[in-house]
Amino acid sequence: MQRTLRIDPSDPRPIWRQIEEGVRHLVATGSLGAGAVAPSVRDLAKELQVNPATVSKAYQRLTDAGVLTVKRGEGTFVSDSPPVLTNGKRTELLQEGAVRFAGLARVLGASHEQALKAFDSAWESLQTVAIPDGSGDDESESGEDFE
Amino acid sequence: MSAPEMPVSPLLAVDDLTVRYGRRTALDHLSLAVPAGSVYALLGRNGAGKSSLVRCLLGEQRPNTGRALLLGRDSWRERASILAEVGVVPEEPDAPPSMNARQISRFCSRLYPSWNEAGVRDRLERFGVPSDVAFGKLSKGQKGQVALALALAFSPRLLILDDPTLGLDAYARKTFFEELIGELADRGTTVFLTTHDLAAVEGIADRVGILSDGKLLLDEGMESLKQRFRRISFPAAAGDTGDTAVPEREIAALAPVAVAARGWGVEAVVSNYDEERFTRTRPAAANRGVEISALTLEEIFIALVGERKGGTK
Repeated sequence: MQRTLRIDPSDPRPIWRQIEEGVRHLVATGSLGAGAVAPSVRDLAKELQVNPATVSKAYQRLTDAGVLTVKRGEGTFVSDSPPVLTNGKRTELLQEGAVRFAGLARVLGASHEQALKAFDSAWESLQTVAIPDGSGDDESESGEDFE
Repeated sequence: MSAPEMPVSPLLAVDDLTVRYGRRTALDHLSLAVPAGSVYALLGRNGAGKSSLVRCLLGEQRPNTGRALLLGRDSWRERASILAEVGVVPEEPDAPPSMNARQISRFCSRLYPSWNEAGVRDRLERFGVPSDVAFGKLSKGQKGQVALALALAFSPRLLILDDPTLGLDAYARKTFFEELIGELADRGTTVFLTTHDLAAVEGIADRVGILSDGKLLLDEGMESLKQRFRRISFPAAAGDTGDTAVPEREIAALAPVAVAARGWGVEAVVSNYDEERFTRTRPAAANRGVEISALTLEEIFIALVGERKGGTK
């Protein structure tokens, strides 16, 4: 199972949103493939040491968004075809994120050029993670890096 | 959190509670409520009044004014019947020192119709606490773990934990909270706990109270609490103009709850952060290296009650 979901107590986002976005990220990068078993609310809560209600809220939103599917009696799975965003929605979400990033860049006093450079290098670093090289069937991936 | 807060009847409530010891006021007309299904963490420095509050909740202390209600009933008047329905992990867990955990569990099973002896055994196994060693010979941490195993054995709706992880090592703390999380997941147990372990409760509690001098400095949902606190750092030197003045008026205008001088400038903690307003009204701050960052619960606590002396960490 993937072990790359983390929560950061000094992250200003609420924990449920960190989980929600973390799962979206895992799905988007292929770490959690279509149809894969998602950790149960209980296990994930224990692993992250957070209230199960918090995980549950994130899962609820992910289910509503069609990213996760609950199969009764079996558990929670990544949807077989996680929703492809409509162009409008994608633009909206991108814009939201861009405003946050631009705001941060300005608060930090970064130039337009510096900000773009930072963005490009972040983009690059994510790309390398995103490519599930080979068959991608590494169920036994070490990743015990939770404390 | 998810929806506007529903008026769920609280499983634990304190109403206008005052406790005095001679001239000293330990609790000063305190009121708070813990709705069903939530996890409330009460924080406070030593001497803030936490123990007095817990004693009132458990019916061990008669308040001078007001009352404490568990499951809607007065805990002083109906102590015995209430405690049969509430799981308690006291700060100093107490049991007959010569009995081992298995014997204690068997003894208790006769008092509680819904007692789950196998559950106690499983929990102690998960904790790694021997159930055949006399209670008096266990370490403080192990006694706490036995107390939790016993407290959960009859599936109480309400759990009261008084600094349950005090004296536990990191691994024992983790298993303790894992057990608690499992219980929350299975039963949605309502939990009231006092603690110094702020990092651990940060993810678990959905509501936080900070007690200071017998009064609540704060009583709020975790999420909104973390949303409204920010650290704003002002570097002393603004560029290379040689102007090293700290913008005192600007900082004062923020009405910070704490201000601290650092080697590189000044750090202010504000409790009224509003992202939109700050980004809009402070474009000038951009080029001066002003930084805004979120705070952990521990940092919020320290900003509000001051640096702890002899803290547990």
